[in-house]
Amino acid sequence: MDFSIIQQALPDFLVGARNTIIYCAVSFPLALLLGLVLALMGSSRFIWLRGPARIYIEIIRSTPFIAQIFLIYYGLSTILFNISNSLGITNLAVFVNGWTAGIAALAINYAAYEAEVFRAGFLSVEHGQTEAALSLGLTSQQNFFRIVLPQAVPLMIPPFVNDLIYMLKDSAIVSVIAGLELTAVLDTWRVRNGSNTIPLFLLAMALYLALSLPTSYIARWYERKLRAAL
Amino acid sequence: MEQTFTRSKKERKPRSWLVILDYVYYAAIVGALGGLAYYLYQYRDTIALFLPTLLAGAGLTIFLSVSSIILATIFGFIGALGRLSRFAPFRTIAAIYVEVIRGIPILVQLFAWAFGIRFVLEQVGFDPYTIAFNFMTLLQSNSLMPSPFVFNAVFYGIIGLSFNYGAYLTEVFRTGIESVPIGQKEAGLSLGLNSRQIMRRIVLPQAFRITIPPFANYFITLVQDSALLSTIGGVLELQQLTTAAATASASNANLQLFFYIFGAMLFFFICYPLALLARFLESRLGAGY
Repeated sequence: MDFSIIQQALPDFLVGARNTIIYCAVSFPLALLLGLVLALMGSSRFIWLRGPARIYIEIIRSTPFIAQIFLIYYGLSTILFNISNSLGITNLAVFVNGWTAGIAALAINYAAYEAEVFRAGFLSVEHGQTEAALSLGLTSQQNFFRIVLPQAVPLMIPPFVNDLIYMLKDSAIVSVIAGLELTAVLDTWRVRNGSNTIPLFLLAMALYLALSLPTSYIARWYERKLRAAL
Repeated sequence: MEQTFTRSKKERKPRSWLVILDYVYYAAIVGALGGLAYYLYQYRDTIALFLPTLLAGAGLTIFLSVSSIILATIFGFIGALGRLSRFAPFRTIAAIYVEVIRGIPILVQLFAWAFGIRFVLEQVGFDPYTIAFNFMTLLQSNSLMPSPFVFNAVFYGIIGLSFNYGAYLTEVFRTGIESVPIGQKEAGLSLGLNSRQIMRRIVLPQAFRITIPPFANYFITLVQDSALLSTIGGVLELQQLTTAAATASASNANLQLFFYIFGAMLFFFICYPLALLARFLESRLGAGY
């Protein structure tokens, strides 16, 4: 074991860590947005809104992320190629690359989980609050945005941060397609230095821990504060 | 007179004209299922050719998941005992195990087992294949052994999965044990049981019930994460076979897409019944006694 390799590898690994952060920073807001839409669809009284949201969530949660990411990376490019072929326009499949497919896959996957968090958060606000708001003459939209949402958001932040940490770890799977994040960098260095891999693994693990541990400590601190406030 | 107080169903929930779209939705569902059936029918020859292989892969996926969850339960139980131990060093070691493992992607851990730790152990002289081969020779059935490459990949895959999930199960078991009210322990003590008896006869049976729903949920994610073993090579589970079949047909993009869809469908057929079972267990057992 030759630990001097860490010095050579560090710049590449830092770029990889930066890309990991970019993946999460772009995908997570998208996942939140899509998750909110799904949660609102799921709580609708119309089955044509509830049904698709339910089906989406069940399918996403019952298939492995790696299968989804392959499906999006290869499948989406095939579908886009077929569409642009039949329409006779420029090939849309050129837009599918490690960045777009990876971000789309992370957002699509995590939206299903965030939808459940949103749903649980909305349910945790007592129904009496809604009744009080409606009896004061607020419309159901006003009730949602001014009464339910402000009370639900603090409760939803800890599970969101938890899911952010999960996303940070699952973004490693983007390395199986052409995503150039930390694990992909680790993989190229590992292949190049077959006999001296342990320092590389330690370096990658340390970087992942440096990203995830502070986040989880902040989340725990916030949760304690929240529990004290309630 | 009673009728003044009971409102008819229609009055209670005003029907919107948007309800018409419900029937559109049902029609769309039927259409989508029909479309899926037609899509699969178009590829019936491919399915007939590849289904036995893929089902064997699904069998290996289930085998990997079950053996990993058993091993993970052992890791998790030891970890939980460590976290609840009276001795500070045990507590610290268990806490570090949980924190470090939960902060690192499982993919990186699997890489580390398959490409790092494995070679280090081989240099020290530990080769699971040789040990297993010698053991099977004792049983006079070493012809059953797979190739060294496959056996070691499966071995380190199971170790990697279970070591990762052991950390999660540590927390599950710890919260389960801690959720048993202290009064139960005190009652046990006042009845003259010693601490080991209290653990075995009073705390664990009650904690067991609470830990089942999260345990089932982790088992489902474990089945899904076993698909990650396709990245280390040698483990011919469902995702590995799907990817291999798809890569081999890369010249035909539609066929490639079909393989990825079909593999994901098979995973869905494994995981969705498990999810339903987990939800059933959660509704039955989640509340505790």
